Amino acid sequence: MTINLQKNENPYLPSESIQKAAIKGLEKVNRYSELKDLVELKDLLGKYNNMSIDRIVLSHGSDLLLREIINIFSKDRKIIMVCPSFFPVTQYALNQSRRLTKIQISPPDFKLDSSLLLNELNEPTLLILDNPNNPTGKILIDTVTAEKILKNKNVLFVVDEAYYEFSGQTFASMIEKYPNLAITRTMDKAFSLAGFRLGYLLMGDYFKEHFFDFPIYLSTPTLFAAIEALKNPEYMIANVAKILNEKIRIEEELLKIGIKVFQGETNFILIKTNIPDFGKKLNDEGLNICNLSDEWIDGYYRISVGLYEENNKLLSIIKKIGNYV
Amino acid sequence: MKMKKIGLIVNPIAGMGGSVGLKGTDGEIYKKAIELGAKPTTPDSIEKTLALVNRKDLYFITAPGRMGEDSINKFDFKYEVVSQIEEKTNADDTKRIIREMVEKGMDLLIFVGGDGTARDVCNVLGLTIPVVGIPSGVKMFSPVFALSTFAAAEIINNETNQFIEKEVLDIDEEAFRNGKLAAKLYGYLKVPKNVSLLQGKKEPSNITKPEKISKEEIAEYILENIEKDTLYILGPGTTLSTIAEKIGVKKSLLGIDAVFNKELVGKDLNEKGLLDLLKKYNKAKIILTPIGGNGFILGRASKQFTPEVITSIGKENIIVVATEDKISRLECLRVDTGDTKIDDVLKGHRKVITGYKTETLIEVK
Repeated sequence: MTINLQKNENPYLPSESIQKAAIKGLEKVNRYSELKDLVELKDLLGKYNNMSIDRIVLSHGSDLLLREIINIFSKDRKIIMVCPSFFPVTQYALNQSRRLTKIQISPPDFKLDSSLLLNELNEPTLLILDNPNNPTGKILIDTVTAEKILKNKNVLFVVDEAYYEFSGQTFASMIEKYPNLAITRTMDKAFSLAGFRLGYLLMGDYFKEHFFDFPIYLSTPTLFAAIEALKNPEYMIANVAKILNEKIRIEEELLKIGIKVFQGETNFILIKTNIPDFGKKLNDEGLNICNLSDEWIDGYYRISVGLYEENNKLLSIIKKIGNYV
Repeated sequence: MKMKKIGLIVNPIAGMGGSVGLKGTDGEIYKKAIELGAKPTTPDSIEKTLALVNRKDLYFITAPGRMGEDSINKFDFKYEVVSQIEEKTNADDTKRIIREMVEKGMDLLIFVGGDGTARDVCNVLGLTIPVVGIPSGVKMFSPVFALSTFAAAEIINNETNQFIEKEVLDIDEEAFRNGKLAAKLYGYLKVPKNVSLLQGKKEPSNITKPEKISKEEIAEYILENIEKDTLYILGPGTTLSTIAEKIGVKKSLLGIDAVFNKELVGKDLNEKGLLDLLKKYNKAKIILTPIGGNGFILGRASKQFTPEVITSIGKENIIVVATEDKISRLECLRVDTGDTKIDDVLKGHRKVITGYKTETLIEVK
């Protein structure tokens, strides 16, 4: 059976109680989802993020939220993004902007030069950053830089925190204070709900004004599963800990084999290797990882942390491939 | 089934210098390689690739004997042989045979060799017919080559109508043997855009537009922002040619040309020509594009931009343009003008125009 380690998914299934809740939702799918369930999910997300529920918008996937943000806010603004960054925004949406500036972060440290970024904020700007960044896994900005950005009235700042549960770093506590801050999150990764595509937005006052009538259509199985997952967050927390432990183990082993590993704050590992056709060779052995050479620099690959046995398989295949080089 | 006609040409001596430490087999040095016991490496490369090609709709037009036929006949492909060769072959044979293949009508040419072979191919085909270069030379500075024999097979297997232009670079072998690296840009070849080697990627969003559109957009933007009474010096490359076309002048593909108020005022300029123009005109700007793969904007493919020329123009008057696809594959931009002080001045972050209203800030190292 193929092992998939290319999409940064959670290798652990949702807990039994989450699965049961989803099935319960299935039993009601002839009906539209109910408002009370939406409210309950928002309540739980409010508690989870320590935020009032009027600052939360739900959506099937955070991609839709990002797209909506670009549609609404980019017409008279320059968009700034980082390159590489693989969170999904469409070309269509980017075409709406007055101007698009990408700031390229480069190996080996993939640092975002904060003074360079701040210098770019001298006109109305929509700044969209993934923090930590995908595919590098790096935290691109800290709280001090975030405050500097947010004090600039020209700027609307949107942070994608898809990997928050793994990095532990968030700007959520700044939302009350800064109307120009919004954060996109997902329950796809840490909560093992990728197939349900549940994303949400945490937003400052400026965004609130524009999102008050954003339509919410979530399926009942999605709602029930998410509610159950948030009622018992211990399961997610334990899985995150297991994944991060495994990540350290894999990194150490890769280093021993001589593969260049870039330290990151997510559930995946960025590596660089000169082994020819590395991705293809793993693929031949029934293991998929993300080959970044297609769209980015040659020799870079991104590996999602899998289950213990999957990771062992990964390491043994890499050792085997490495021996033939 | 409509068959695709695929040309196949192998440079039988490419790569032979490598194993005996000769850094290339251009010209007479090939004899020396043989004396030193060098063995052909190209049959192995092409056969590795052909073994992985699984398309049934390919009809090969191959060069005779060890220039192709001896490899293709080990497989089940349908093929015909064009032309004849003598015992010893050289670059003229390569060019002659490719011309004959063009007459036969081919959709794609697979060539096996190194930078020298790529030059010969470029000489005949230019940007007319797409190619897949299978790396098998000693010198392979040209980004035109597939990354490996496997990658080449994958490109052949995945039919596409999207192509990108890649540089054909070659170094001066004589200088290389004496320890000096001086690469020169010889032209461009059209290669199929590489598709994902692995299935199932979720993220489509390191979005890049098709090259042609990207170039058009860049040219549009430059044209709109062109300043009056300013000398524009246009470096080599197809992006710069697109800009020249938009301005309404015909540019030499590899040379450095100059435009003033939308009129061509200098063609194929060397250092002296550039300095003369810079004396004549008060305001001047250079527009450049990096070399794919290594990211050099100054110093490798365009030696005419000497330290004196660059100093005279000034750092702030250097405009860099590149398609999004090209820029996203670079770790950084690089300069190597031959003067470390000037290199230091040029280092730091720089904006590269990548489209009509898009730009990328990237570090120059």
